[in-house]
Amino acid sequence: MTNAKILSASAHNRLPWLFGALIVIAAIWLLADLSLLSTLIEWLPYLGSGFLMNILISLLAMTGGTLVGVILGILQLAPLKIVRYPVVFYVQVFRNAPHLVLIFATTYIFPFEIVVAGHYLPFPDWLKAVIGLAIPASAYVAEITRGAIQSIATTQWEAAKGLGFSRLQALRWIILPQCARRSLPPWMNLFASITMGTALASLVGVHELLHAATDASTAVRRLDFTVLAYIVVMTAFFVLCYPISSLTRRLERRLKV
Amino acid sequence: MGNSLLQAFIDWTGKIGLNYEFLAGGYEAQIWRGGFITTLYLIVLLIPVSLAFGLLFAAMLTSSRKLVSAPVRAFIEITRNTPTLVQLMFSFLVLNTLVSNVLGGAQNNPLSPFFWVVAVVGLHVAALHADAIRAGIEAVPEQTVEAARAIGFTRLQILRFVEAPLAIRASLPALVNNLINLVKLTTVGNAIAVSEITYASIMVWTQRDNVVELMIVILLFFSAINLAVARIGHWVEKRLAVPGFGVGS
Repeated sequence: MTNAKILSASAHNRLPWLFGALIVIAAIWLLADLSLLSTLIEWLPYLGSGFLMNILISLLAMTGGTLVGVILGILQLAPLKIVRYPVVFYVQVFRNAPHLVLIFATTYIFPFEIVVAGHYLPFPDWLKAVIGLAIPASAYVAEITRGAIQSIATTQWEAAKGLGFSRLQALRWIILPQCARRSLPPWMNLFASITMGTALASLVGVHELLHAATDASTAVRRLDFTVLAYIVVMTAFFVLCYPISSLTRRLERRLKV
Repeated sequence: MGNSLLQAFIDWTGKIGLNYEFLAGGYEAQIWRGGFITTLYLIVLLIPVSLAFGLLFAAMLTSSRKLVSAPVRAFIEITRNTPTLVQLMFSFLVLNTLVSNVLGGAQNNPLSPFFWVVAVVGLHVAALHADAIRAGIEAVPEQTVEAARAIGFTRLQILRFVEAPLAIRASLPALVNNLINLVKLTTVGNAIAVSEITYASIMVWTQRDNVVELMIVILLFFSAINLAVARIGHWVEKRLAVPGFGVGS
């Protein structure tokens, strides 16, 4: 292990301490000003309900994005050009598109209700945000899947063919199970990034954490509370995303060998 | 000549049901074009800013003094694990207000929303760059560094003449990825009314109700820019490739 590696590892171990110190400072600040503490406690349930929305949006967007993305990733390697080219185009466009633009697109293009067999079903903004984030997620998952499939030795395809598997059977039973392990670290990175992308939904009026914090700070009208509200927002996202990214790094190191 | 071409384009797209009529109108077309220029300007400004700070952070990150490396590590972990939009709102609503208070009123505050977008996005991407460059520095063989030390290079000279040139080459693919991310992040300026392309488009489509038409252009615009960034990155990678490493040209 080189010097630099030891150093960075120790810096990693120190991080929870640093974060703990920040929490202690915040706690002292709150105890020094009890009115601030009581205002924060009053608003915490409101902020919490916003954060649940972030989690819901990210879970749904990742589920949808993964299901569609795996299929697109497989289609990107299809032998037929007429299947392959449109999928490659889709992936290129939506992988390069800013998440905010896609959220705007789904919010403003889709109607606010849809008619299914004579019933008017509401099509709320948060569901549109889910689709807006599921589209880039599917494009990224397609690239991850394609990369994973291509990283598997061609001889495995040939061996499967030799054993009498069809192309689809080989894909399903031999190739994809190996891909799942390889694509787990990038998939988790994507999960963290989509989770952070949910904050963008506040710009189209979805009631999520950032929106709730803005509401709270306009209602209370105190600079110290505003500072605190945004620190709570940062902390909430950090607590959600940091374990994902550190676990990803550990997995990457373990799967590298 | 230009006008008749524009009119032909508007007529032709009108036939397939797309409404680009605002392009012929003066004011809206001007705002919209301004949006594209602002976005391009942001990108051109942010790329060197992020790279410069990325190098600085990477140098601090690999320092043997913990007092130097630990704060940068903490900054990287915080920026990477919190949404950029939240960082931007925090900077604009909190830091900007504090600066205004110190200077005695918002009218004395020279920091514009544009500045805050450059600062937040630039430092955010710089943090990502720093981690990529650090990984590149770690990939430099120990023997090379030892050899440099043996000839009498100081720590800083080793970084400047030996580690950095090799590390930059190793981290180029990751840096290009970060730059593509940077291009996409410029849209958060929308939240604090920096008139980049999404903000300018909202101005147009609230008047004309032609979201689909504008979205098509915006998506193609970002695809084209990111394709260009990826191509230039690939070209630089090839130019700087160390002979005898990788799969070769």
